[in-house]
Amino acid sequence: MANDGLHARDKLAFLLALVPYLMDHGHVTVVDAARHFGVDEEQIRESVRLIAVSGVPGETSSYQHEDLFDIDWDSFEENDEIVITHLVAIDDSPRFSAREAAALIAGLQYLSSLPEQADRDVLGSLMSKLARGSTGRPSEVAVGSSSVDTALAQIRDSVAAGHRIEFDYLNSRGESEKRTVDPLRIQSLDQDWYLRGWDHSRQAVRTFRLDRMSTLTTTDEPISRHAAEVPMSESLFESSETDLEVVVELPDDAIAMIADYLTTDAPVRGRNGRSRVTLHVAHDHGLKRLIAGLSGVVTVISPDTAKTRVADWAQAALDRYAERTDR
Amino acid sequence: MPEPTEAAAQRVAVEERLFSLVLALLATEQGLTKAEILSTVQGYRQRYSSSGGNATLERQFERDKDDIRELGIPLETVEAPGDPGNNQLTRYRIPKGEYDLPKELTFSPAEIAMLSLAATVWRQGSLSGESRRAILKLRSLGIESDEPVIGYAPRVQIRESSFEPLRQALEHHHVVEFSYLKPGESTAKTRTVAPLALVQHHGRWHLSAHDLPVDEGRTFLLSRIVGPVKTTKRTWTPPEAGGHAERSLNALDALWESQRAIIRVQPGTDAATRLAKRASAVDDGTLELHYTDLDVLADELAAFGPEVLVESPQRLVDAVISRHVKTVRRHRGGTGENRG
Repeated sequence: MANDGLHARDKLAFLLALVPYLMDHGHVTVVDAARHFGVDEEQIRESVRLIAVSGVPGETSSYQHEDLFDIDWDSFEENDEIVITHLVAIDDSPRFSAREAAALIAGLQYLSSLPEQADRDVLGSLMSKLARGSTGRPSEVAVGSSSVDTALAQIRDSVAAGHRIEFDYLNSRGESEKRTVDPLRIQSLDQDWYLRGWDHSRQAVRTFRLDRMSTLTTTDEPISRHAAEVPMSESLFESSETDLEVVVELPDDAIAMIADYLTTDAPVRGRNGRSRVTLHVAHDHGLKRLIAGLSGVVTVISPDTAKTRVADWAQAALDRYAERTDR
Repeated sequence: MPEPTEAAAQRVAVEERLFSLVLALLATEQGLTKAEILSTVQGYRQRYSSSGGNATLERQFERDKDDIRELGIPLETVEAPGDPGNNQLTRYRIPKGEYDLPKELTFSPAEIAMLSLAATVWRQGSLSGESRRAILKLRSLGIESDEPVIGYAPRVQIRESSFEPLRQALEHHHVVEFSYLKPGESTAKTRTVAPLALVQHHGRWHLSAHDLPVDEGRTFLLSRIVGPVKTTKRTWTPPEAGGHAERSLNALDALWESQRAIIRVQPGTDAATRLAKRASAVDDGTLELHYTDLDVLADELAAFGPEVLVESPQRLVDAVISRHVKTVRRHRGGTGENRG
C-alpha cells in the first residue's frame, strides 16, 4: 500500500508537470512529449487520456462538460498529436518542494568542485533560483566543497577532445607502470575520482584512481575506442573470475561500509549482532589495506593465507614504530 | 444516486483521485470543507455515503493530503473564523499564487543541463527520487536542455542507514534518539537531539544538532550512530534564521584548518603518491595533513600499513599503533578474540 502511494504520487507529479508543458506547446506529438520527458510514449498517452476526463466538480458539483479539460480527440486518436482545447484550474508549472530544491542544490554543491565550475557566481545564481522556486526554505542538507585532483581538468579536456593519455600508475601492489589509455568517462564516489578507460596494454576497460596517477601527459593520438562501443557497467568495481573470495565477520550495522566488495551471497547473521559475509577482492594486497583500515570492526575468518597477509601488514607497521623507538 | 460499491471505487485510480483533489482545491477561492470534498470530488464521491459512516474515506483524505504536501504543493488549512478547532468547518485550499512557479524564474538550456547532471549525483534514497521530481518540474517549463554534460558520472553515496530517518526528522522538526559510539569508548551512549543540518564534509556525513540534555550544539558522525534512529513524538521549533548547513560546514572547515598531522611516507609507495596529493606541505618524505577527526584519519593511515609512520600528534601515533596491534591480534593464530 505504501508503494502504491509512492507510485501514485509520482504519477500525480507527472500529470501536474505535463499539463503546463502541453499548454505552452499548443500542439505537440506524443513522440516529442515522450522524448522531452524521457518517458515511454504509452505513459504520455495514458496521462493525456486521464487529463482529458479530469476537472473540477464545478458549480453543479457534478463535473459538467465545461468543468473538465478537453483535447482535440481526432488529432489525438488519428495523428498521435496532443492539443489541449480547454484548461481547468492549472496553467503553470508547480513549485519545487523544499526537499526537491535541497536535493538539487546539494548536487550542485558537489559539482562545484569540477573544473568547468570555475565561475562560482553562475552556480550561486542557479542555487538561489531553486530556492526562490521552492514552496519552503530548502532543507538543511549540504555537501562541502573539496579540492579535486589537479589531473581532473587535464583528463576532462582529453575526454572532450578524444585524445589518448599516458601516465604512470601505481597499482595497489606498489608497482609503477606506464599505462596508455583512451579516456572514456570520469566517475566519482564522494571524495574519490576515477577514470574509466580503454587500457591499451590490457586490451580491456580499466578503472584508475586519479590520485594514483603521476606524470600524466595528453598525446596527439585520437582514441581508438569510444564510450558507445565499450560496455561499461555502472558500478566502478567489476568483479572478475580471478577475484579472491574472503569470508569476514563484522557487526551487522557495519555491512554498509564494505558494500562495494560484497558478493551477491546474503550475509549470514550470527549471534550478538554480528554477521559473516563473503567479499570479492582483486588480490590480497588490496584486502590487507581494506582490513587494516577497518581495524577492530572487520575480521577475516578465511582463508588462512588472507589472515596471515593482513597480520603481516599490520605487524610490519608496528615494526617500523619499534625501530623508531630503538633508534 | 447509485449505491456506493467497491466496484465503483475500484474504477477511480489513486492518481486520478489525487489529481482531481489538487484541481478542486486550486479552483476554490474560499476553500472546501471536508464534507464538500468527500461528497463531490472524483474518487471520493463514488464511495461517499450521505447517511454518514465515512470514517475510512476520511482517513483516506488525511493520507492523500500528506501525499500532496510531500510533493511541495501548498495545501492550506483554513480554520472557521467563528469556530476554530471545529474540523467540520475547516476549509482546505491550494492558493494558486503559492502553487505556481514564479513567472520571473527562467532557466537557460545550459542551466537545465547542469541541473540534470546535479540530479544524477544521487543514485539511491529519497534524494534521488526528489531530484528526479525536481527535474520533471523543470521539464514542464518546456525548455530544451543543452547537450548533456558528457563524460562525467559523479556520485555521492549515502551508506549510513541513519540518514533517511534523520532527514525526515530534520524536515518535520522531530526530536530523535540514537546510540552513539565514540571512538575509544566501549559502549554506545544514548543521545537525544534536535537535528539542524546534514552535511557531507570531506566525504563523511555529519549531523549538526542541538543536544537537548546538555543544551548545546553538537556535531555527530553518521558512521558512529549504532542501531536505529528513534524518532520521538516531541517536536521542536527551529530557530528563525536558517543557514545551519552552511555554518556547520564552515565550522568543520575551521577545524580541518586548525588540526594538522605530520607523517613520514615510504617513497614510491601508494601512501607516498596518494597522501602527497592532499598534503598541505611536502618535504622529502615528510607530509603535513589536515584533518577534522583524529580517529577517522587514524583509520585511513592504518590502511597504509608500513608505508606510513606518524610523527605527530602523539595521540594519532597511539591511535594508529593500537589499530595495528588489534589487527595483528585478531588475525594471528587460529582463534579470533571475539570467540571469547
